[in-house]
Amino acid sequence: MPTVTVSWLRAPYPSFVVDADGGVVEVNEAATRLFPGMITGAWLADVAPSWLADAHSRFTAAARRRADPPGGHPAEPGPAGVFPVQAARGPHGGRMFAAHPTPSAGGDVAWWLADDTDRHAAEEALRGERERALLLTEASSRLLASLNVDRCMEVTAQLAAEHLADAAVVVAPRSGRRHAVIAASEGRTSRHTTTMDPTLVPGLAEALQGFPPVPSRWIDPLALPGWVVPDGWDGPVGSVVVTPLPGHGVPAGALILLRRDGHAAFTASDELFGRLFAARAGAAVSAARMYSEQATITRTLMAELLPPRLHHVNGVDFAGGYRAARDSERIGGDFYDVHPGATPDSPSLVVLGDVCGKGLEAAVLTGRIRTTLQAMIPLAGDHQQMLRLLNGSLVTSRHTRFATLVLASVRREGGRTGLRLTSAGHPPPLIVRNTGEVEEADTAGTLVGALPEVTARSAAVDLAPGETCVLYTDGITEARGGPLGGEMFGETRLKAALGECAGLPAEAVVERVQMLASQWVGDRAHDDMAVVAITAPHSTHLTAVDGRTRGRFTA
Amino acid sequence: MTTHPDDILHLTVCTADDGGVCLRLVGELDWESAGDLVETAREQLGRQPRPRPAVHLDCAQLSVCDSTGLSALLMVHRDVTAAGASLRLDNRPAFLDRMLALTGTLDHLTGTPPARTARLDGDGTDAPR
Repeated sequence: MPTVTVSWLRAPYPSFVVDADGGVVEVNEAATRLFPGMITGAWLADVAPSWLADAHSRFTAAARRRADPPGGHPAEPGPAGVFPVQAARGPHGGRMFAAHPTPSAGGDVAWWLADDTDRHAAEEALRGERERALLLTEASSRLLASLNVDRCMEVTAQLAAEHLADAAVVVAPRSGRRHAVIAASEGRTSRHTTTMDPTLVPGLAEALQGFPPVPSRWIDPLALPGWVVPDGWDGPVGSVVVTPLPGHGVPAGALILLRRDGHAAFTASDELFGRLFAARAGAAVSAARMYSEQATITRTLMAELLPPRLHHVNGVDFAGGYRAARDSERIGGDFYDVHPGATPDSPSLVVLGDVCGKGLEAAVLTGRIRTTLQAMIPLAGDHQQMLRLLNGSLVTSRHTRFATLVLASVRREGGRTGLRLTSAGHPPPLIVRNTGEVEEADTAGTLVGALPEVTARSAAVDLAPGETCVLYTDGITEARGGPLGGEMFGETRLKAALGECAGLPAEAVVERVQMLASQWVGDRAHDDMAVVAITAPHSTHLTAVDGRTRGRFTA
Repeated sequence: MTTHPDDILHLTVCTADDGGVCLRLVGELDWESAGDLVETAREQLGRQPRPRPAVHLDCAQLSVCDSTGLSALLMVHRDVTAAGASLRLDNRPAFLDRMLALTGTLDHLTGTPPARTARLDGDGTDAPR
């Protein structure tokens, strides 16, 4: 029984009517072109793709249930007399189709097919792009979470192996004669170093120099050297892509992607995406590398700048304390050193100073000053000449960075501890007498490093047993804090605090000053603070001091 | 004429009574602003006709000067002297004088004769010059 008119038969869209049992009732020309075997009387399952036949069975079964539900009344058809159904989708002849069913009289179903290829492709592409965008986001956040080079390269290999290929190998730039190689496949990551020749992998030498990637079709998987293929990889390699990991200025390495034989080869789109991924990974690895280089430089300098542990030298007690500024830029501001005399009779030289400015520049200047002074120890008897020579070695036409410092020559002779103190633009040392009096050493001079000429006036000071000379930097006196927050600790407070330290050993004096200054600033920002205490020992009997002095210092 | 709209240090360029350039320093001369002072002074120095008159730094409203600030003053002094002019630090607040005295730079920067510096004798005693 024909249920349609002739105009329907000429419709440009493939269309046909199938009865409830799956027999084809009516076919239009477009449908015959699409499904050559489809004629009236044929079984749909024989002439149409299975997805379409299945869709028809599902639809008729659903229609039967609606018309004769197990427990009651037939369901009402929808507003247009059509049961709400979703179109079925499937491929045929290399294209994608959407098939829309419409129920007709007597259980027949009219099917209309629309070519859905472009829309399907667009949807697939959109889904793919979304996945890739998500992956790039994930890659960025995982890569940037660490500033550790090794960790970054590991994550790069893992992400690439997970999302871009069956295995991924990251080759680091050469370090010495070796390359670090990180391989990831199937959730496992391994790392080794190799002295491989990068020219043996087509495109690798170029990628390590930052040249564009080599298309996979140009690389013969059979020609790959063994180290490229991760351990545990079974079977031959199907296809390979070598992509540079671009860095900041210099390449951060190369990424080799491997796919198994039989898996889809890399498409142009895969390779393009690989480059996008490599760009992010390369930037992260490169940032980590730069950070670690800087951190190494800073660590090396800092290690060199750390103040020494002070102790008992040639019969005199020394103690030092250093509290670095909280601002991490301010490394290397204050410094101190104690250079023991060559013989127990020759004076020990103590240097405490403060370099103007902060950061690496200050650190470099500090290093120069300490090294220069150390080389001048033989001249330690003449502070003025030392300062003149030091000034000459520091002055440059490029800048006026300077240092202020205090030199102290300390000599123990019998029961007497004699000090010669010279300030070069630095707060004068404070002498803590046994009476609790605190005196300022009468010394003054010019800072070093900025002026063509320097002058200084030294002070000679004798310490009785138990008396202490305190050298300090202005980080202590200019520490801002207190009950109101903005007040300077100041010299008056420092002197008062030291007055209470009469008779204390050197270490206790340093600790006391440091503690008070720290309490004063609380958790506020502060400059470097350095303190050195020189204490004449209470030696009223024969002392065998640190085993070297053979008890010659008796009071 | 304000040349630097900074919150830390305001530098105003004006003409001094003697016809020379005067930089008025208002605020804090420290790590962050020291470079501005050196730069502005160089720029102004380059504009002065020869023979160059004195360059004045009016410090009346200077509130802070740290070691980097002092370094900048020394640099300005070096530049000004090299250009054949002289530097005047006018209206110095007490804290600045104290700092210049402590660091032994007061004479150098202000040209006043040395007050209590002396050569050091071999035995460490004072010997006035």
